[in-house]
Amino acid sequence: MEMDSLPNGNNTSGTPISATATANPAQPPSSNLPQLTESLKLEHQFLRVPFEYYKKTLRANHRAVEKEMSAVISGVNEAAATDLSPDDAVNHLNSLVSRLQGLKRKLEEGSRAEHLQAQKCRVRLDHLESADAENMSEWNNTRMKRILVDYMLRMSYYDTAVKLAESSNLQDLVDIDVFQEAKKVIDALQNKDVAPALAWCADNKSRLKKSKSKLEFQLRLQEFIELVRAQNNLRAITYARKYLAPWGATHMKELQRVIATLAFKRDTECATYKVLFEAKQWDYLVDQFKQEFCKLYGMTLEPLLNIYLQAGLSALKTPYCYEDDCTKEDPLSQEAFRTLAMPLPYSKQHHSKLVCYITKELMDTENPPQVLPNGYVYSTKALEEMAKKNNGTIICPRTGLVCSYTELVKAYIS
Amino acid sequence: MELSTIKDAFDRVTKKQKLSCSKTQEAIDQIRQEIESVLDTLQSANNTDHELDYKTVLNELKASFLLIAPLSQMEGTQKELNVALTKYGKLLEKHFNPDISKAYRNIDIDRHTLNQIIANHFYHQGLFEIGDHFMSVVGEPESAAIMKFPFVEMYQILEAMQNQNLEPALNWASTNGDKLAQSGSDIVLKLHSMQFVKVLQNGSREEALHYARMHLSPFATSHMTDIQKLMGCLLWTGKLDRSPYHALLSPSNWDKLAEELKRQFCNLLGQSYNSPLSVTVAAGVQVLPPLLKFMNVMAGKKNEWQSMNQLPVPVELDREFQFHSIFVCPVSKEQATEDNPPMLMSCGHVLCKQSILKMSKNSTKVFKCPYCPFDIDAAQCKQLYF
Repeated sequence: MEMDSLPNGNNTSGTPISATATANPAQPPSSNLPQLTESLKLEHQFLRVPFEYYKKTLRANHRAVEKEMSAVISGVNEAAATDLSPDDAVNHLNSLVSRLQGLKRKLEEGSRAEHLQAQKCRVRLDHLESADAENMSEWNNTRMKRILVDYMLRMSYYDTAVKLAESSNLQDLVDIDVFQEAKKVIDALQNKDVAPALAWCADNKSRLKKSKSKLEFQLRLQEFIELVRAQNNLRAITYARKYLAPWGATHMKELQRVIATLAFKRDTECATYKVLFEAKQWDYLVDQFKQEFCKLYGMTLEPLLNIYLQAGLSALKTPYCYEDDCTKEDPLSQEAFRTLAMPLPYSKQHHSKLVCYITKELMDTENPPQVLPNGYVYSTKALEEMAKKNNGTIICPRTGLVCSYTELVKAYIS
Repeated sequence: MELSTIKDAFDRVTKKQKLSCSKTQEAIDQIRQEIESVLDTLQSANNTDHELDYKTVLNELKASFLLIAPLSQMEGTQKELNVALTKYGKLLEKHFNPDISKAYRNIDIDRHTLNQIIANHFYHQGLFEIGDHFMSVVGEPESAAIMKFPFVEMYQILEAMQNQNLEPALNWASTNGDKLAQSGSDIVLKLHSMQFVKVLQNGSREEALHYARMHLSPFATSHMTDIQKLMGCLLWTGKLDRSPYHALLSPSNWDKLAEELKRQFCNLLGQSYNSPLSVTVAAGVQVLPPLLKFMNVMAGKKNEWQSMNQLPVPVELDREFQFHSIFVCPVSKEQATEDNPPMLMSCGHVLCKQSILKMSKNSTKVFKCPYCPFDIDAAQCKQLYF
């Protein structure tokens, strides 16, 4: 019924084809299943990040339980090994029991947190599954917002990210919680404090080691530099012995260069060493941390927005985009998009796709292109409409040429 | 995609997690029970003044722990959980594209430009609060106001239309009547028609007729059939829903009118109907899969990719992203350019100029159209403008 009334309503209001072709023919895109599947395959990060987060929580909880359990067991062992008075023994055992009670509570709490995170992983799987031809525009809309939240989180616009996620109820589809962890470290680094970053490194020691990360080394170097800057040379040397020496085997060159600052001091003019004292070293550390953080959680190193935007700009970039009469519907008609597209390659197409200048509709076998005597081509639909209105006369909208409908020739595009 | 396999794998993970969790609890309970029972023994020994060797009891407890081996008990389930986790992780890697940045050209994207685009997107979508917030965080609150203002008006009009109030829309249309007419839009007529139907629906034939005389008559010559239909409605005052014109009452007409208004409004603003950011990202989603495939095959040509002037693979974009006519010569497979324009042959088939020159040996010979038995004279070919 609803479907029936649609074309009816259209007829009664009568849509003549407008000259400036604002109309984007509202044909629903045919459900393109393979294409949809392909686009879903791009969503690796969407599933990976909450999963890595979940895994991390599982591991941390398990480690805590294991540690506490062994502590209790060795508590009993110790008690058995030493001479305790009866009262002490009872007290000791009682304390172990309450410790176990505490552990159980912790375990339950941890299990709840794990459950919530597992839920999040599942919500995302469901969200991917929910994408089908019917709700595509809404789904795409959500994807756009997800991509924007990702951009803001990476650019440290946390509050806006939270606001956007809340306004559209996307909390489970974006990784604000994961980025909270990064925020703490980045904020501290921007305040020239490496402690949280080092703690983060310790937390993820085994995985960072596996990926041969040298973030910790770089943080340690910076701490060393700060000691030299404060002319605390003796402490600097002790520090280097303790924290830098272990990296000597793999990063000797860098190590030597930084140690040499002891000789050059903070106000050195020697370029090689001067740069080590510059404030931008801290920005560099922030970048390094961000990279390691993204790697650890299986995120792309660049914001998703940049990746999609770049691909999209290339796909849309044609020489025609830069002509004056480029339609406003083309993003590349706008200066900002042209700027971003400048260093990118042009699109490439293997098949002719002709768009009628007047109606902006595709010219195909259904609506074949027709040629005016001056070589200008328009769609049959547009020309028929024009001829009907003007008693068979055609006026070329681009050159003003007047001709008769009978003078038109069909063009066959293969 | 095999989402169900992936889901199953994840279900396995959570199942193993639960198992591991209950096993751990069991182990904790067991240890506690052991300690508590020892405590009981100690307590009762105290009460009865019975001599008890604490050391023996504690050693027994120690021995029982060794027997229970709680940690290795937990280990088993933990191992199973780890297996499930690894399997799920591998499935993700296998079924999805683990790194979509492989086709990313490492260039600096101008942050300011990008932020402007994002803000414009928010305003375009009517997300004013977020747009404002974003602009103040980015530190460009001044340009926000200019960008926002026209969209605020548009969304006010659209909101009123949601409540079936056409007043703001009609006001806007009358202020911009000239520009709308210039662009060939008939939105003014559509708005008045809708208002006319609304008046009629409220039951007053007199008022409706008056409205039609005032606002619809100017369109009589250009849109005769439309006006006739509307006038026909007058005969069914009060029972329009049973008339041949009942389609005019369909609520979907309001949505369509709102869409049309948004289109025209954006057009006058010099903006696109769809957010350009959404359009570009959507195009990116379509083009990334083939690009990534190419990158995987051409892993060694990563450097060439950084300097390519044209995408290495052809892209098939949906109709909605086709803003310009692209002619690809069916003979040379090259895209037409200004220097190599499309030419119409006398049979009606179209080739690019260079292909015609080649086949006619520089216009010295008549040649056969590759698509039909026609003989073609290069001099007779005509350049086309799409």
